[in-house]
Amino acid sequence: MRTASRWAWIAIAVPLILGNGAQALFETRDAKLKSVKTLGIVSAIGDQFTYAKAGLTGLSNSPRSEPIGSWGLDDLIAQEVAKALSNRFQVQPVTYPRATFAAIQESAIGPVNLVRGDPFKKLVQTEVSPQGLDAYIIISKAKASFGGGNRKAEGVGMITYSTVLESIDLLHALYEVRVVDGKTFDLIEKLAAGPPGGVSNIRLPGPSLIIDSSFDKRDENLRRAIVDLILRSLPNTLSDMHLGNQEP
Amino acid sequence: MKQALQAARRCSTSCANGALLAAAIATIGAAMGAFDRASAQTAFTLPAPPFELPVLPPASGTWTMMIGAEGRYRPSFEGADHNLFSPVPIFSIRRAGSVEQFRSPRDNISIALIDFGDLRAGPAGKFVPSRKASKYSELTGLGDVKAAFEAGGFIEYFPVDWFRVRNETRAGIGGHEGVVSDFSADFIVPVTRAVTISGGPRFTWESTKAVAPYFSIDAVQATAAGLPAFDAKGGAHSVGAGAQVKYRIDPQWEVHSYVEYERLLGDAAKSPLVTARGSVNQTTVGIGASYSFDFKIR
Repeated sequence: MRTASRWAWIAIAVPLILGNGAQALFETRDAKLKSVKTLGIVSAIGDQFTYAKAGLTGLSNSPRSEPIGSWGLDDLIAQEVAKALSNRFQVQPVTYPRATFAAIQESAIGPVNLVRGDPFKKLVQTEVSPQGLDAYIIISKAKASFGGGNRKAEGVGMITYSTVLESIDLLHALYEVRVVDGKTFDLIEKLAAGPPGGVSNIRLPGPSLIIDSSFDKRDENLRRAIVDLILRSLPNTLSDMHLGNQEP
Repeated sequence: MKQALQAARRCSTSCANGALLAAAIATIGAAMGAFDRASAQTAFTLPAPPFELPVLPPASGTWTMMIGAEGRYRPSFEGADHNLFSPVPIFSIRRAGSVEQFRSPRDNISIALIDFGDLRAGPAGKFVPSRKASKYSELTGLGDVKAAFEAGGFIEYFPVDWFRVRNETRAGIGGHEGVVSDFSADFIVPVTRAVTISGGPRFTWESTKAVAPYFSIDAVQATAAGLPAFDAKGGAHSVGAGAQVKYRIDPQWEVHSYVEYERLLGDAAKSPLVTARGSVNQTTVGIGASYSFDFKIR
């Protein structure tokens, strides 16, 4: 009789323990975000503008970069994110070495990234001040394949896609947003900004815009177009991460 | 690995499934028409899954699903001198905006675990259907060859955006237990933003264990089939060329067509099955259409 009773207790306890374990393991990022009250924002996407060529190119087609630190994109992004999240979170100013964050690259070998973990976790732990906030939001450059060949676009820049009969210029502002737990430094959420909703045959998996030949490519016009791409994509990206207000 | 989930699958089915497939395409077509009218951007929105795995990125965001079908007219079996039509479903799902990497019709299922942009590598696999002697008179007496699954890896290199070389080397399990190594090179020429043509040479090497089940004829089979006995060895297996054209009609619809020719070499070409009842010339022609639409996961 006692043996039967013991087995009955085990039969009740095991599912409960497994259930709680599974709940902890599979806890949604949304649930983790609910406990976040104080936030710091780190933005590091806008120090270089990259010109690249794709499609029918010459044999030597390495991309070239120009510094655009003076455009103030990162300050603008930090302000916009703070504005979007201030209703829900207590956003606090933080200091960080922007160049260190901008220089981070993921490994080209997928399994290495899985083993190594997110490269921004350690930076948040060692380079951001003050520590102790509930979470930190990191906005950094994203990378994406373009055109089906070997070309990868990264961060802010322009790709000239050449075909036999035409040439197309595509402006892009590829970025991804991470939420890092301020206590454990685990990654709560990570999402790359998506493409604009419009329809086009030439697309990148991020904010991008085809510009026609009449577009005046002076710096102020490029900046205005890039800022527009960022400002239009940020609300949806934050909404998809369940951070901002939901899109109607 | 930037794209959290990107999988492309093309699965061969037999002709017997044609009616089912046609019905499915008709249903999908009707549904797609409804999507077109409903929205030019996002077809529908799904709620986020109730749980998430810690190692996987979140499913939230906009995704692109591609569905379609391809008609493939290919040799009934390797070495045959007549062809068979088979429908092939097309399905892929990827982050919205992410482009499908270039793929030639001979590429098999693969995942790029290493991706330097110009150099990509990872595991690859291929399913080789069984060869039933009862289905074709040329095979009478030769016995069945079971289906095989080939697993191995691929490596491809783009020295420039418009040229790719690729190798897939796979070992078989089941119908054959040999090694198959496919080499290909493709020039990829975008004619306009909507039209891309590509093509180049192909070469295949196979080990003895990969060739023998399909091209050797033992004494018993020779008697039953009325063909001389033959012991097929491995080596250079085939050489050929392929070309394809893709036309993206609009952001949703894409049509494609291709032709792949290979000439059997070595003992595959010398086998009595081929010299007496088949052909060294093997041509596959395909034509297909696909429809892509975006959906959102909150």
